[in-house]
Amino acid sequence: MSDTPDAVGDLRRRGFLRGAALGVGTVGAVAGAGAAAAALTGGPAQAATPTPSATPGPAQDAQFHGAHQAGITRPAQQATAFLSFDVTAADRRELTELLHTLTERARFLTSGGTPKALGITGPPSDSGTLGPQVPGDALTATVGVGASLFDDRFGLKDRKPLRLSTMPAFADDDLDPSWCHGDLSLQLTAPHQDAVLHALRDIARHTRGGMQVRWRLDGFSSPPRPSGTPRNHLGFKDGIANPDVADPATADRLLWVSGGGEPAWTTGGSYQVVRLIRMLVEFWDRVSITEQERMFGRAKDTGAPLDGSKEFDTPKYPQDPMGDVIPLDSHIRMANPRTAQTDNSRLLRRGYNYDRGMDGNGNLDVGLIFVCYQQDLARQFETVQKRLAGEPLVDYVSPFGGGYFFALPGVRDRSDWLGRTLLS
Amino acid sequence: MLSMSGANEPLQRHPEAGVSAESDSDPSATAAAPDPARAAEADGEPGAITAAAPPRTRVPRTIGLAAGAVVAVAAVVTVAVLAGGGHDGDGDGKGGQGGTATPAADGLPHTAVEVSTGSCGRGWTSPHPGTQVFDLHNSGSGASEVYLADPASGRLFGELEGLAPGTTRQMLVDLGSGTYAFKCLQEDTDAITGPKVTVPGSTPRGPSTLPVTEHDLIPPTLAYQQWIGARAGDLARGTAALEADIDGGDLAAAKRDWLSAHLVYERMGAAYGTFGDADGVINGTAARTPGAVRDPSFTGFHRVEYGLWHGESAASLKAPAAGLDSAARALRDGWSQARMDPADMGLRAHEIIENTEQFELTGRTDYGSGTSLATARANLDGTREILSRLRPLLTPRDPAVPQLDAALDRLQHALDAAGKGGTWTPLDRLGQAQRERINADTGDLLEQLAPVAAIFDVRRTA
Repeated sequence: MSDTPDAVGDLRRRGFLRGAALGVGTVGAVAGAGAAAAALTGGPAQAATPTPSATPGPAQDAQFHGAHQAGITRPAQQATAFLSFDVTAADRRELTELLHTLTERARFLTSGGTPKALGITGPPSDSGTLGPQVPGDALTATVGVGASLFDDRFGLKDRKPLRLSTMPAFADDDLDPSWCHGDLSLQLTAPHQDAVLHALRDIARHTRGGMQVRWRLDGFSSPPRPSGTPRNHLGFKDGIANPDVADPATADRLLWVSGGGEPAWTTGGSYQVVRLIRMLVEFWDRVSITEQERMFGRAKDTGAPLDGSKEFDTPKYPQDPMGDVIPLDSHIRMANPRTAQTDNSRLLRRGYNYDRGMDGNGNLDVGLIFVCYQQDLARQFETVQKRLAGEPLVDYVSPFGGGYFFALPGVRDRSDWLGRTLLS
Repeated sequence: MLSMSGANEPLQRHPEAGVSAESDSDPSATAAAPDPARAAEADGEPGAITAAAPPRTRVPRTIGLAAGAVVAVAAVVTVAVLAGGGHDGDGDGKGGQGGTATPAADGLPHTAVEVSTGSCGRGWTSPHPGTQVFDLHNSGSGASEVYLADPASGRLFGELEGLAPGTTRQMLVDLGSGTYAFKCLQEDTDAITGPKVTVPGSTPRGPSTLPVTEHDLIPPTLAYQQWIGARAGDLARGTAALEADIDGGDLAAAKRDWLSAHLVYERMGAAYGTFGDADGVINGTAARTPGAVRDPSFTGFHRVEYGLWHGESAASLKAPAAGLDSAARALRDGWSQARMDPADMGLRAHEIIENTEQFELTGRTDYGSGTSLATARANLDGTREILSRLRPLLTPRDPAVPQLDAALDRLQHALDAAGKGGTWTPLDRLGQAQRERINADTGDLLEQLAPVAAIFDVRRTA
């Protein structure tokens, strides 16, 4: 771990988040008067020593630093927490400090290392729930900004990404305002739930004054059953037909924002849509297999399209113009008709199952945290969503929350920070 | 706000460690105050710790036992196990042969250092800057505290409490360039300072501060105790007015006077441990079970509150109001005999607001008046009262005092916005933005207060 002396020294002079003084190299040192002097005078803030993991190196940095945020293209991991925050920072200066702090914490948490030793100047800098050494592991922390951040609080009105708006209610939505929208989004993913929770606890501790959780939903991705794409709560494999964003040309065409009338600062970012979709699984379980499969357009057991035999077979819609095999109103056919005209509406899905206990009527409160990324909200998500209006599946699901966000460009190196191009 | 009946026991305090205004305190006597958890640990009966502690009991940080430090140290002990625990046993082996730092599984440099009255600090022969671990081995005959200090300034960079004879534990520190020395403080023995060691180079130093002794804390504790005494008089006047309103059948006046008197008590929050059982009588809450508000053990402010805001008659409230007044008078009259523990001053500084967050901002203690935020505001006043007395000690020890002051002001501003004109917005009527503002400012203030409590852990220096 290391920090950017200039940025940090500057931050210490402002400093409204005390939590920001905990835990990482130069920043942590400020909790002690000796080092604080160095920071306050703007001197070399490389106080004492930041503490990398046992084997520091580019491999670990690569998880966090890059042109894009790592969590966008990384395949779904086992555990996630998706959060929306309202920013409580008072002004642009404090918002800038908040994003610096968020960056510092995300950098440390994803890279791993020894939590800062604070001596007698404070309680332990880390919760210790992952043991004395924080394993960087494969944690990702993906940060987005919502349309409300561009109101008159922070002087950002003229910097809003072209397509960013407040998520509207679609035809079959039943939106609960307390589960919608937000100034910032944060999605944490990791191979284990404890690492997700550890990261959330750490980030919240360091940012309490600057942002408050508006809503939070934890999720998980199932292991292959028995193989291939993970299944959702309806028992179907979900996310089979994602575009291959490992191919740079595909990613540049469908995923990353660059030019096209967008503000320059957005380059390298991506529009993020999150939809919290309750699944009425008791109802679903009382539906025949034929009807279930015709609603999806896929076989429940193999995940194959109903005109194929294997999961990754391509449906042959031209040979089935009347929908005798794959109904015209099936989910896969409406979502992605696979025509030349609809090719540029494809999007990158990163969905997770959620389970949040029981409903008042005694039913399981489970569903899908649908997350997707795209270059253009209108051309991609909204187009697909409108195509899906009235699909038979809507009787068994109920979208109740979520929002539109713009996932910020990546943090390029140790001197960079989330939102730098937006705020400076 | 603090005392909970049923499953929610009040935080347990140490009644035996107290300061008397009449006599000089005896640090060694206080240090020897019995601590069941600690005694059990020393006896090697970890099971006894659980048995001695009720579920919600927080181990008090008495003199000589800094709970925060124990937690911090416990976090790194695992490393020794993972690393093979190679420093156990003959503690002076490596030190005697040059004391070079040894890489360990945690990736940090380790140095074996001896702790005893005759060899305090022996083994640290190749000092270097950076985050590192000292494997401290107690080769003496008694348990010892170990500090890593700057011998010139007295600032402490690390501590390890209660290192048992024959054991090795770890001290994780972040060292910059400068001169250091270990201090070994065996129980009932004068402090021993080991050899001075200089870390070369020009690396800025890591976090450190000056210790606070019991002696330092006696004057502010006495001043605070005196302030509480005056407030106890205010409290008794307030509960008498409340009782008179109810006796006269004026329930509108009773509601007003209930709030004034309750806020007086909530400003005194810092002293709740010292109030002992009286706190439960004056400010206890009922269990959550149906009908619990009818339990005779539910008394005091919240019992009266429940009646006033649930349409009970003046006649039915006479007994609860009289009981409250009687308890308040007893508190006032008995206060001259009370002895506050100086070690509690730092704890109170953050625990008042911790309790505000836990009990007021959740509405747990609201029995109908909707004045949780007024209580929170009174608790903030109570915190300021403590901090004002600690400030001369805090300012030279904590460079973040300006941020702390700013956080206090922010929360005060946020709360005042919910209580304009003396009418307090009930929690459930706050808009989302206002609620988030209060939560943010409370959370931030608590983060700023946590180091205050850590700094005011009472430490020996001689």
